[in-house]
Amino acid sequence: MMTMLLALALLWPLVVIGWTLWSAYRAPAAYQSYFSALWLSAAWPALLLAYGGEAQWTMDAWMLGGEWALNSLSRPWLAFTALLWGLAAIHARGYFATEQAKAQEGDQDTQRRLLRLALLWPLTLLGNVLLIIAQDIASFYLGFALMTFAAYALVVHSGTAEARLGAKAYLMLAVVGEGLIIGGFLWAAGEADTLTLQGLREGILVAEQGAWMAALLCLGFGVKAGAIGLHVWLPLAHPVAPAPASAVLSGAMIKAGLLGWISVLPLGDEQISASLAQFGNIMLMAGLAAAFGAALYGVFQRHPKAVLAYSSISQMGMMTALVAMGLVAPEVWPLLWPGLVLFAAHHALAKGSLFMGTSISEHLPRWPLPLVWGLLALPGISLAGAIGAGMISKWGVKSPLYEMHHESLIKLLSWAAVGTAALVSVALWRQWQQRHKGGSNREQWGAWLVAIAAALLTPFWLPLPAGSIEMPPLKEWLGIMWPFPVGVLFAAVGWLLTRPLKGKSLPAGDLWWLYAGMVGAALVPIRRLGHYCAKLKAASVVSAQKTEEILMGHLTRLLSTESWLRHHVSGLMMLLAVLLAALMMWEGQR
Amino acid sequence: MNAAWLPLTALATSLLVVVIIFALPEDARRLRTTINLAAAMVKIILVTLMVRRVAAGHEDIFSFQVIGGVDFVLRSDALGVMFAGLSSLLWLCTTIYAIGYLEGSANRKRFFGFFSLCVASTIGIALADNLFTFLIFYEMLTLSTYPLVVHNGTQQALDAGRVYLRYTLSAGVVLLLGTVLLYSLTGDQSFSSEEGLGDYLNDHRGLLTLIFALLVGGLAVKTAMVPLHGWLPRAMVAPAPVSALLHAVAVVKAGAFGILRVVYDLFGIELSVELGVITALAVAASFTIIYGSLRAIAQEELKPRLAFSTVSQVSYVILGIGLFGPFGTVGALAHLLHQGLMKVTLFFCAGNYAEELGIHRIDEMDGAGKRMPLTSIAFTIGAFGMIGLPPVAGFITKWYLGVGAIQAEMYWVVAVLVASSTLNAMYFLPIVHRLWFRSGPAHGKGSWPKEQRLGRFETHSWLLLPMVFTALVSLGAGLFAGLPFSPLDWAARVANGEYLP
Repeated sequence: MMTMLLALALLWPLVVIGWTLWSAYRAPAAYQSYFSALWLSAAWPALLLAYGGEAQWTMDAWMLGGEWALNSLSRPWLAFTALLWGLAAIHARGYFATEQAKAQEGDQDTQRRLLRLALLWPLTLLGNVLLIIAQDIASFYLGFALMTFAAYALVVHSGTAEARLGAKAYLMLAVVGEGLIIGGFLWAAGEADTLTLQGLREGILVAEQGAWMAALLCLGFGVKAGAIGLHVWLPLAHPVAPAPASAVLSGAMIKAGLLGWISVLPLGDEQISASLAQFGNIMLMAGLAAAFGAALYGVFQRHPKAVLAYSSISQMGMMTALVAMGLVAPEVWPLLWPGLVLFAAHHALAKGSLFMGTSISEHLPRWPLPLVWGLLALPGISLAGAIGAGMISKWGVKSPLYEMHHESLIKLLSWAAVGTAALVSVALWRQWQQRHKGGSNREQWGAWLVAIAAALLTPFWLPLPAGSIEMPPLKEWLGIMWPFPVGVLFAAVGWLLTRPLKGKSLPAGDLWWLYAGMVGAALVPIRRLGHYCAKLKAASVVSAQKTEEILMGHLTRLLSTESWLRHHVSGLMMLLAVLLAALMMWEGQR
Repeated sequence: MNAAWLPLTALATSLLVVVIIFALPEDARRLRTTINLAAAMVKIILVTLMVRRVAAGHEDIFSFQVIGGVDFVLRSDALGVMFAGLSSLLWLCTTIYAIGYLEGSANRKRFFGFFSLCVASTIGIALADNLFTFLIFYEMLTLSTYPLVVHNGTQQALDAGRVYLRYTLSAGVVLLLGTVLLYSLTGDQSFSSEEGLGDYLNDHRGLLTLIFALLVGGLAVKTAMVPLHGWLPRAMVAPAPVSALLHAVAVVKAGAFGILRVVYDLFGIELSVELGVITALAVAASFTIIYGSLRAIAQEELKPRLAFSTVSQVSYVILGIGLFGPFGTVGALAHLLHQGLMKVTLFFCAGNYAEELGIHRIDEMDGAGKRMPLTSIAFTIGAFGMIGLPPVAGFITKWYLGVGAIQAEMYWVVAVLVASSTLNAMYFLPIVHRLWFRSGPAHGKGSWPKEQRLGRFETHSWLLLPMVFTALVSLGAGLFAGLPFSPLDWAARVANGEYLP
């Protein structure tokens, strides 16, 4: 039963692709529906699979040996991923309704873009699902690569200059990331002679250079997870991607990087070496730096989706810090990880609904504005930890940290939540400034509302191990809730203070421009060297040809002696005969 | 039981076809096609038989004495059968493709005659059991490829042919010198002999190193290792099926296969390590990999870019040998097959673009995905395989090479692999991007250089089918690498034979 469900979950997106292709081929453009009911259902079997219970599969014929499992970690992960993909698909159908109408009128460019998106969306989903259930390295890497490269179409969809820049940044960093990941995988797996993620974790734990392997892998996955320094694609890609694509990018796919970390790092093992713990410390710092830095930079953004992208970086920074705790303080990890998964799931849905919300504020339905903004704010408030699932997930990570006396980290995380609150209020403010009336339809706001509800109620539907998550006791509420009002206050004060700047803002993508400049500068001498080499080659070819010519000239001159010989052949023969006769006479005389 | 007829018939099928084709008149098109295809089928069946017999532990030998001390020997062993299998499978594909490609052009008799001769030579190379036999077929390959390279008869083609002959004939002389030296030292040395050349190590260390250098140096020209690669990009003027054959199985692979033979079967891996030549080989291969990729980025035309990619990719095989270990060997052997499958796909695609739309330059490829979806999907599969991304076969090879490098404690090789993958991504992804994400003539912007409507589908179906088949096989070889008789499985079998006596 579970096996059938698994096969269905993996094959269904392919069926959807096949069907979309077939109907695009058959149906005339005027009746073409790119987002059919079947297309919407691409993620549903995977969602069903997540609630089917735990299971394990081994397939020897699959690549290097397939090993897939649904365990206490991959089940909730699959649940929130598939749910978000399903909701985003419904939202997409509404979001692209106008484009679809345009395509049906016969606009070829729109037809092409929609078909591309409709085909690569299920493929991206398939990669995401596969990497969650994969327990062997090859399948995991396959899922990761499939997701990464197929998602290019999601980012570049609109085809504008900004979209192409965002997609370019995304792809370049993705290629760098893939390189780091495969390097790390080869190193660690070769050292430990293993093909599974379990073996990889054990290998990294005992290997002498374990910290460096971990660093390679962490940087590689860090591209996707938006680790500081490698995060630059997020603020460039998000504002230009369509809202449903941003929702899955920031909700589900960014979490794949996090899952990558959890899958390869020997978290929570008591025998962690000093160097690995040291690496954990660095990771902790990097995470906190991202959490605060992104908040500080993000509040100055103009585009609401850029603000939300920086909020994602900030949130992922907090999760990075929590993952790092598994290395720094292994004893916390068994208590901490369910909280982290809840944190990730809640962030996925909340960020997903916030991104969907940007399309709502651009196409406001005819509802009272306070209601709309209240709904838009709900996932944000929850994200800051003041209500609903956000509060429970904050408590889920705080209480184990309390128990193990990591008060300073708790304090820092609380202040990072202040940043979250500030970012969310800035995002809402920007949405208010850039609001447009009309045009949103039922699918659009329906999926958005369900996503908000799902975000607020995350702990109730997430299949986490029983008893691992509990409500915070009443006396702790204040300790969890205070960052929200403080953050809003900070945002308001900051807005008042920066008013004299007249809306000047920092460019999205911060370090990207620095990197681009550096690479550009590095290319100058390389180009010069290339030109020099080409010149050198041309010169040596010319000189070789000249030498050959001279040699051939000599040879030709030698040939001319042949005609001289031919000319004097009778005389020479006579000479030869005389010589021979003389020789014989000399011989005879002895 | 020794089925001596088996290797002999496998060789004779192709040779017989050569004779028949040359005897037939130029315009007997149908008959020629039928004979060609029938022979290709028969050869696949024969090779399958050999595969089964080798898997069951039989090694069939056919031999006769030429003069005292020099024998002509054909033997089907695991390594040889692997190469023979690749060549017979791709022969069928390229023959079908070539029939479609050359439809209506002149000199088809000459083309198919030499084409078959070329494939017969590769079978001979695959089954040769000593250096003498190997050399005969190796030189036969050189000579039979020349008419194919210059087939178009243009000045450019003739120039390329001249460069090709200069490189390969001088390499042949070097190889001959090495062979003669070896024969004068050891007498007839079978590839299957157990003892290897270990006995001569103490007294003739210098000479052995010299022989190794001569042999590998001679073979490296066909393998297109830098700096001996100059002929390969020039030979791009040949028709697409020839390029496909050249890059995937015949010439380039014959060189790589020869190096495999020399290292594993002639010298033996231990002796090679003892001589210290293995590391030199790995370094040379790494240099070639990076250099080839860098040059590929600079190319603006499709076929030269693919050619430099071949320069880079074939050295993966050599790199695998250089890793000295079971994983590296498996990687090297599997890549011999994987690279063949993927590269043949890419060249078929390049040929289809050129035939159907007249595309030769990369910047003409914008939006070709809409006009030729199957070709473009096949190209995408091939390109991703070359980068080494799963699930295409290239990933399997990269995995084995990387793990082999770590286990041999040659960490820099992993860096080379990662750098090469990134460079591969840098020159393949822009093409894929152009195919699918840019709008071009198919969307009403400008026009194709020279569009023809060759068939009911996106192009002539004889051009389409072999390409779809090889693309599917490249995908399947990666996705189901764990199946018995997959390229990986067979490579592991051969490697086990090398490392576990």
